[in-house]
Amino acid sequence: MNELREKRGMGLKASRTISNTIIYILLVLMSIIWLIPFVCIVLQSFRVESTWQVGYVVPKQWGVDNYIALWNSDFKTWYLNTFIIALVVSALQTVIVLCMSYTLSRFRFKIRDGLMRFMLILGMFPGMLSMIILYRVLKDLGLTQANAVPGLILVYVASSGMGYYVSKGFFDTIPKSLDEAARVDGATRAQVLTKIILPLAKPIVIYTILTAFMGPWGDFVFAKYVSFGTSSGMNVAVGMWNWLTPDMINQRYTMFCAGGVIDALPVAILFMCLQKYYVEGVTGGAVKG
Amino acid sequence: MKRVITLLLALMMVFALAACGGKANNGGSGKSELAGTYDITVWCPDNEVELRKEMIEEFNKSNTDGITFNATVENVGEGDAATQMITDVEAGADLYNFASDQFARLVQANALAKLGTQAAETVKSGNGEAAVAAVTIGGEMYAYPLTDNGFFMYYDKSVIPEDAVGSMDKIIEACEKAQKYLAFNAGDGWYLSSYFFGAGCVSQWSTDKDGHWNINDDFNSDKGLIAMKGLNKLQSSPYFLSKSGAAEFDAGAAVVMSGLWDYSAAKDILGDNLGAAPLPSFTVDGQDYTLKPFMGYKFIGVKTQTDATKAAALHKLAQYLTSEEAQMKRFETLGWAPVNVNAAASDAVKANPVVAADMEQQKNCTAQGQVNDGWWNLAAALGATAKETDDEETLKAALATYEEGLEKLKNLREGLLFVGAWNGWNNADDADTYVFTGDGDEKTLTIDVPESDYMGGRIVNIGSWESDKGFAQVTTGADLIKDLGADNPDNNIVFAEAGTYTVTINTASNEITIVKG
Repeated sequence: MNELREKRGMGLKASRTISNTIIYILLVLMSIIWLIPFVCIVLQSFRVESTWQVGYVVPKQWGVDNYIALWNSDFKTWYLNTFIIALVVSALQTVIVLCMSYTLSRFRFKIRDGLMRFMLILGMFPGMLSMIILYRVLKDLGLTQANAVPGLILVYVASSGMGYYVSKGFFDTIPKSLDEAARVDGATRAQVLTKIILPLAKPIVIYTILTAFMGPWGDFVFAKYVSFGTSSGMNVAVGMWNWLTPDMINQRYTMFCAGGVIDALPVAILFMCLQKYYVEGVTGGAVKG
Repeated sequence: MKRVITLLLALMMVFALAACGGKANNGGSGKSELAGTYDITVWCPDNEVELRKEMIEEFNKSNTDGITFNATVENVGEGDAATQMITDVEAGADLYNFASDQFARLVQANALAKLGTQAAETVKSGNGEAAVAAVTIGGEMYAYPLTDNGFFMYYDKSVIPEDAVGSMDKIIEACEKAQKYLAFNAGDGWYLSSYFFGAGCVSQWSTDKDGHWNINDDFNSDKGLIAMKGLNKLQSSPYFLSKSGAAEFDAGAAVVMSGLWDYSAAKDILGDNLGAAPLPSFTVDGQDYTLKPFMGYKFIGVKTQTDATKAAALHKLAQYLTSEEAQMKRFETLGWAPVNVNAAASDAVKANPVVAADMEQQKNCTAQGQVNDGWWNLAAALGATAKETDDEETLKAALATYEEGLEKLKNLREGLLFVGAWNGWNNADDADTYVFTGDGDEKTLTIDVPESDYMGGRIVNIGSWESDKGFAQVTTGADLIKDLGADNPDNNIVFAEAGTYTVTINTASNEITIVKG
């Protein structure tokens, strides 16, 4: 009996080892394929012997010339613009989305269902459709070109209320009896949100902040329209795009790579720190209570 | 709620008011009527920005009219200028660089101001005929030539011997011997058309002020077949690379066909080994044909202005920026080939082998007209077929397909239609529509007008409903149509009774003749 169990145990162990090995080899291969472009960009950004595209990956001479050149170019302005936009938008959008979700999750008012349905339909129209009219409105308000930053913030924040789905789903899973208990103890509605719901919904708050930060961080199409050829109003994506002309690419290729690295840094760092909450947030919102 | 709306409206008004600031201060009791300070926006490519700022400063100091420009110079490349300008002319730059392929579009969008008599004279006296023709549409000039925009051959002197430079066959032979590549972008119509022009084909493009273009093209011919064979021969070499760009020198190429924008990179890579020459000749069936590339220009344009003094001052600046001295300065600092005849003939330019090769190439080139966007894909398809096969029938079939495509393009473009209530106001090129036909200015069509309540129609360009040709332009046959007066705001032609009519329109004078039967 003992022998038999041992044999079977070894067989199980062996087969698990084999399947694990295969899975890990596969995962390693996939991650290599995924990481190659990023590694290339990082390596190219440290290449100083030439500034154009070359047929090899590892630089022959290493240096930080490209980063210094970035510092001396308009890149600083673009970076600051992108940062301000993303920061302000993530703050405002988080407040709006959380209030919206709380309201729709906990309050029962007359047009609640109608409102939700209306927003669902509105959300089906591609945002690009409104681009021209938005440009026109922003231009008449004087919020284009050099003033593109407040203009873009306005546009990104204006539609944020409609992104309530995930966090409302999460709020729905928090038992209502908690609210009721707090209300009995004399808490106001606002206190219920800040003192009861939000501490319980930490992952979803962080998820909301993250997504709100990333949207404007990588935007190109609308940002290009609104900045309209004015360097001081551009974000990183639009500004660097101007380097990709046949005239300029030979002088700017490695600088472009360096810009890409710097541009990716904050998002990468944010993700590394908050990864745990992010996954919880995405899956947490999906549970229906 | 009301309070919120009031607040919003108030905010909007504040913004709107803020948007009205920043108008040009045109006060100043200067020496001439142009004297004053002007706020302007200038677009030029990244590498020219610093130089442009310097030049405007110099202009401010040296001009005798008392003009001072307070300029914001932004980096907008020549390739992107038209797209940006056309999006919003009002917000666009007052003075900007653009490449010649965007010329017609910009004129149509009213984004280019006409040159005055004096400015036009300056451009005519300073530039060659081809450059002047390139800035002229419908007898009017609209821009200032800045530099040329064409390509020629860069090569590695250590690989390609001096006596091989003139012949594609010998160049490929030398490349194969050294196991180095020849880079020629045979997937791009702009480059590969040099084979066709070299073989003697023509593809002449012209556009009038209204944006109607015309083409005279004979690629589908025996000469075209020669070009196809040449392209096949080139692309079948194992040492052929379908790319352009000096960076290829770093990736094993010994020859790169490219333009002056690659000058500094090519020089950095090859150093003293850098050679430059006009494009070589290719050999088909024992006969030599010299490649003849498209040559375009880059221009400086002035945006149409509401303020006439500002416009005049801007034209002064544009002339200064394209003057012989300015072009020489650009040649020295940026390596841009001058187009000004005096500057082009100067010793300094001739002494630079690369720029000299570009200038030499200018003598054997095809002026790039207002090529329709759809053409590039048609031409690129030719290169792709020539890569696959040397079978004569297939090559001929590809040329026939090309011509068909061109015809389709033409049909999309022109053709006056008669759209009417009885054919459902059909304005697309369809079997149901009435298309005017005929050579020259006189175009004719016959229509059957069935009995109905409203027997009206108008003459439009295909795909459009806008028309300036209708009732008011009818010179003969006015008795056959109804005069509805104020009830006819769209200038429609409304027939008095059903029947068959022959309508003739003179596209030059826009006179319409209507004959019954």
